[in-house]
Amino acid sequence: MSASAPRGPPDASPAYYPGCSLDGLGKAYEVTAQRVIERLGLSLDRIVDYNCCGATEVKNLSQDVSIALPARNLALARSMGRQQVVAACNGCVYSLARANDAVTDPATRGRINATLEKGGAPAYDGAASVQHVLEYIHARAGPERVRAAVTRPLTGLTVAPYYGCLYTRPKRYTGVGKTPGTDDPEHPHFLDELLEACGAKVLTDYSAKTICCGGGHALSDLDVSVAFGASILNEAKRAGADLVATICPLGQINIENHLDRIRASYGDEVIRPVAYFTQLMSLAFGSSVREARLHDNFSRPDLFFRARGFP
Amino acid sequence: MPIVEKSLVEVDRTEKLEIDGIDVSGEWNTFLRSRVQAHLDVRISDWVKGQPQGETITRCWQCGTCTAGCCMHTDYGLTEFNPRYFIYLAQVGYEEELRKYATTVWRCVSCNKCVERCPKGVKVEEVIHTIGTYLEMTGAAPESPADRFDRAYASNLLERGILDEAALFRTYERLEGRKTPARDLLRMGLALLRSGRLHTGPLAHRTRGWKKMGRVLRENLEADERARRALAVSAAPPNGGRP
Repeated sequence: MSASAPRGPPDASPAYYPGCSLDGLGKAYEVTAQRVIERLGLSLDRIVDYNCCGATEVKNLSQDVSIALPARNLALARSMGRQQVVAACNGCVYSLARANDAVTDPATRGRINATLEKGGAPAYDGAASVQHVLEYIHARAGPERVRAAVTRPLTGLTVAPYYGCLYTRPKRYTGVGKTPGTDDPEHPHFLDELLEACGAKVLTDYSAKTICCGGGHALSDLDVSVAFGASILNEAKRAGADLVATICPLGQINIENHLDRIRASYGDEVIRPVAYFTQLMSLAFGSSVREARLHDNFSRPDLFFRARGFP
Repeated sequence: MPIVEKSLVEVDRTEKLEIDGIDVSGEWNTFLRSRVQAHLDVRISDWVKGQPQGETITRCWQCGTCTAGCCMHTDYGLTEFNPRYFIYLAQVGYEEELRKYATTVWRCVSCNKCVERCPKGVKVEEVIHTIGTYLEMTGAAPESPADRFDRAYASNLLERGILDEAALFRTYERLEGRKTPARDLLRMGLALLRSGRLHTGPLAHRTRGWKKMGRVLRENLEADERARRALAVSAAPPNGGRP
């Protein structure tokens, strides 16, 4: 089982692992997540010289490299004196948690640490826990404090909460059920609760909540990733959503990257704006459409919100 | 009603037969002949078991929970994508049958629902990828688009420690012989540049002090691939597993 349970009192300011996406295409997520966290009186400390976690790709080539990549980041967090690591991308959470699981085996940990040492990184003791930023916000602030921080409620907005895969699964890696503050892998609800606290109407029975976005094969299997992107939007349409909220840059980018193809194959009426949940929370906390960087998204939620009178 | 003795029936013939007033005429002794599957080869299952990503294959008890929830099988509707069956074929070493799925196995999108749900703790997704790797490394399957992507991804990230997303896109398009129209690329590039998100080429992010780590990991990766390939080739049954 995963070494996910923190051993001491929670960090005042956990280590924050941005991953490649949040420093690249997912910049809107990074900026708005920081703003939300600040507004809720929380704080995260960035792991400065982090490296890519290897996502779901590297493990198909080499087990040890796929463990060493995330383990280096966890080791950096430990040398910052932290026992908690927060990441915003489902893929990163998965890789980091998977590495944690692997190094519970002493032989593996020895091998990985030898590699880290050879590469000039600190050794990893296996004692960092990993949390998704959604879980972190929910556990540390919760719907009550979110409600108190709302200055411009998202009243009248119907949102489809899209969690995607790897958010809390698989439990054998993420330690769900064994670690406090973790969401339910089959029926996640943290996002529902936070968006409700922001005043939105949340479609809790949205059927595509935890389906795969196909992002793992976004470029290598177009048919599949377009079909999954389309069903996320189509299910949102069927449920009557104005907008889809995401918690993962891969999901966000995969849907948005395929918008033209989805439109061509499934019609214009399935297209909906797609936004990171932290962009929506920022809006509710009083950010302008521009500050929430909604113009970054190819599905143009900025136009959507401006049309509804958001400044 | 009594059970009909075989001795009452003439072999291999359609019989008219009435017992206790009940007509039990029919084809007798035409049941399936007992079959023995020869040419099964456990070396493939040994190879998969020997890989850290594949070792949980031995726990599978063939309940089919993975396939029932599999998004490729159920949501996408590719019914021949059947992880339970792939595992079965690998377990019993029915390589000839497995090869029929050589261009299917790679399509797993790694959503991990199967790993989440497996009641026996099989890391199904990783096992399926390991089986796919076996097929590719033994030449039974061509290098799949996903394999090419994985390799392009790994080599991109090991360069600087952080992924250069735009460069990966370009590399991969070249590998697949695809070409996004220049106008679309320009439009996308400009949008990213304007929003401060175009970190590519000389503007790419990098991990400070990555050089040494990158070299060590690259060596590990190459050594791993070589070792796996050599083992897979020696595990593959001669003559492509044909009887």
